[in-house]
Amino acid sequence: MSYAVEAENLTKYFGNLIAVDSVSFKVKKGEIFGLVGPNGAGKSTLIRMICTVLRPSAGKALVEGYDIIRQPQEVRKLIGVVQEKLILYAPLTPVENLEFFGKLYGLDSKVLKERIAELLEEVKLSAVKDKPVGTFSTGMRQRLNIARALLHDPKLVILDEPTNGLDPQSVRWVRDYIVNLKNRGLTVILTSHDMYEIDELADTVAIMDKGKILEIGKKEDLKRKYGATKIEDVFLELTGRDLRDEISGRLRRRGW
Amino acid sequence: MKGPLYHLYVIMKKDLTEFYRVRARLVSMILLPILLMLLFGYMFPSNGTITHIPIAIVNQDQSTGAINVINSFIYTAESSGTFNVITYSSLSQAEQALLEGKVYAVVIFRQGFGQELSTGSATVQVIVDQMNPTLDQIVTAGIQQIFSQLNVQLSIAHGFPASSFGTILVNFQGLIPGALSSFEFLAPGFIAMSVVMGGLAGLAMAFSRERELGTMDGILMTPVSRFSIVMGKAMAQAIRGIISGIIIVILSILLFGVKIYGNVFLMAIILLLGILAFTGLGIIATSFVSDQESAQMIMLMLEMPMIFISGIFYPVLQLPWWLRDIAYMFPLVYTVTGFRSVMVMNAPLSAVWNDVLVLLIYSIVTFAIAIPLFQRMVTK
Ligand SMILES: Nc1ncnc2c1ncn2[C@@H]1O[C@H](COP(=O)(O)OP(=O)(O)OP(=O)(O)O)[C@@H](O)[C@H]1O
Ligand SMILES: [Mg+2]
Repeated sequence: MSYAVEAENLTKYFGNLIAVDSVSFKVKKGEIFGLVGPNGAGKSTLIRMICTVLRPSAGKALVEGYDIIRQPQEVRKLIGVVQEKLILYAPLTPVENLEFFGKLYGLDSKVLKERIAELLEEVKLSAVKDKPVGTFSTGMRQRLNIARALLHDPKLVILDEPTNGLDPQSVRWVRDYIVNLKNRGLTVILTSHDMYEIDELADTVAIMDKGKILEIGKKEDLKRKYGATKIEDVFLELTGRDLRDEISGRLRRRGW
Repeated sequence: MKGPLYHLYVIMKKDLTEFYRVRARLVSMILLPILLMLLFGYMFPSNGTITHIPIAIVNQDQSTGAINVINSFIYTAESSGTFNVITYSSLSQAEQALLEGKVYAVVIFRQGFGQELSTGSATVQVIVDQMNPTLDQIVTAGIQQIFSQLNVQLSIAHGFPASSFGTILVNFQGLIPGALSSFEFLAPGFIAMSVVMGGLAGLAMAFSRERELGTMDGILMTPVSRFSIVMGKAMAQAIRGIISGIIIVILSILLFGVKIYGNVFLMAIILLLGILAFTGLGIIATSFVSDQESAQMIMLMLEMPMIFISGIFYPVLQLPWWLRDIAYMFPLVYTVTGFRSVMVMNAPLSAVWNDVLVLLIYSIVTFAIAIPLFQRMVTK
């Protein structure tokens, strides 16, 4: 079994809106899988189904061989997710935030303490570990958010626009960290609106629009196929240059 | 140790820590009810037009003299439209009815009443429910008036001026010895109300806030059961409610001289069950919306009417039947009556067990609905 994710005809309806439209794809173990698409393409919805917080309307998916619908508990232990919205509590300190989620993951309190210390060191937040997260900069919050996603040693890490809104230093740090995760043997699914980020990091790229995957393949293969030098060109070729002004029924908000 | 109950505890502790950290929320939770209590303490009691107040009669004397007086009493009481008279065969039954709030006064004609009346003056014992100051006054005044009327009739019948021969003296007595300030009757209702309301407001926040912020996804992505999430959050609200209840009670004692006559532990149990019953109801109501504002609106729509029909300001028995039926469908009325009976009237568990039982069943049923509903709504 060499796939971290195998999705087959995954579909999600919100009322009449079809957010994800019968999507099938496979993510190889150990690769960085870039998922791109214009706003409203359905990337986050797809991700939320894979991380078991949203029930698919149809289709199925396996994560490391476990069925997301029938074995959600197994799947949850194997994936770490950084969503568009930060999953942190502003009034709590980094240690308290991580302890809370770590306990919910069932980590033994001694193991958890060590793990937290180690992760805070890694994301360079040891010095502020007892300050309320509400006082942190966006970059610090995102680093802590990434630490939270890695608490339980997941095999698959999913990052939904992890560099959105960060300063160049933080962006650099996050990108390097993603490569670092790959080098440790983890599988990464990454979404971004920054085509250069995808070009730099991704091994495989899937281009989504209007709920469907338009194209999927090795980054280099895609570029060759479309005679492009950059993923950006492939993206614009496939999704067009028109501005997307569709009205969405949802209010978007990030962070606090 | 790492089962659903442990997770429940972890979630509860997190919610409480978060709450404790945000001082503004902490203070408003306690200040608001105190302000409300002050306000209402001065506003009430005022008289309204209240009719058909149920009162009980206990006749322990089978003499014709007594029976005649009783018949006249019932006739006068009911024809004025102020009272509905219910006859009880034993004093303990009548007192039980008083404790349960089924009647607002018990008029006792003791053994030998007819005998005394035929030789001089006889005394009627009246026990008044002081739970509601407004009603307390009306009941007292009303009963007094009926006996004055009867005295006039009696003296005419005897051809003597009233108060010298064949006079009925009325001895009023409260259920609680000693005079009680009107506020003491209102206080338990306010305490129960504010604690329950605080629980509801906190709950609306606890759930919809996490969904809106996106942190709920973070909890849902851990292998924790939905039972632990829902119950953990509900228990956090319950504990918060109990703590605020304790603070409010202490402040009421210090500021307004409110006294506790009953068992504190029983009071806490009733409050706890009251909050849980409401929380379950609140989760069901808010599971249909995903943003905080709508959730708060729904909570408000649930709370506001309930506050006015649940016996805090106005006796439930005096409501039109359909409003009364509505009041009895929601848990606030059981919380308020149970809590008040224990706090002011020293009612034992045996007197409030039906309130406790209703709240318990209410909690269990609403959570049995709320947990699967929550599961369905979050993963929609
Ligand atoms: N909970 C929801 N209820 C109703 N509609 C939703 C919900 N979540 C997403 N949608 C809708 O589904 C569609 C896909 O949204 P999604 O967030 O998956 O897109 P995306 O590719 O992540 O976009 P972005 O690049 O803006 O993050 C959009 O039209 C969105 O409005
Ligand atoms: Mg998105």
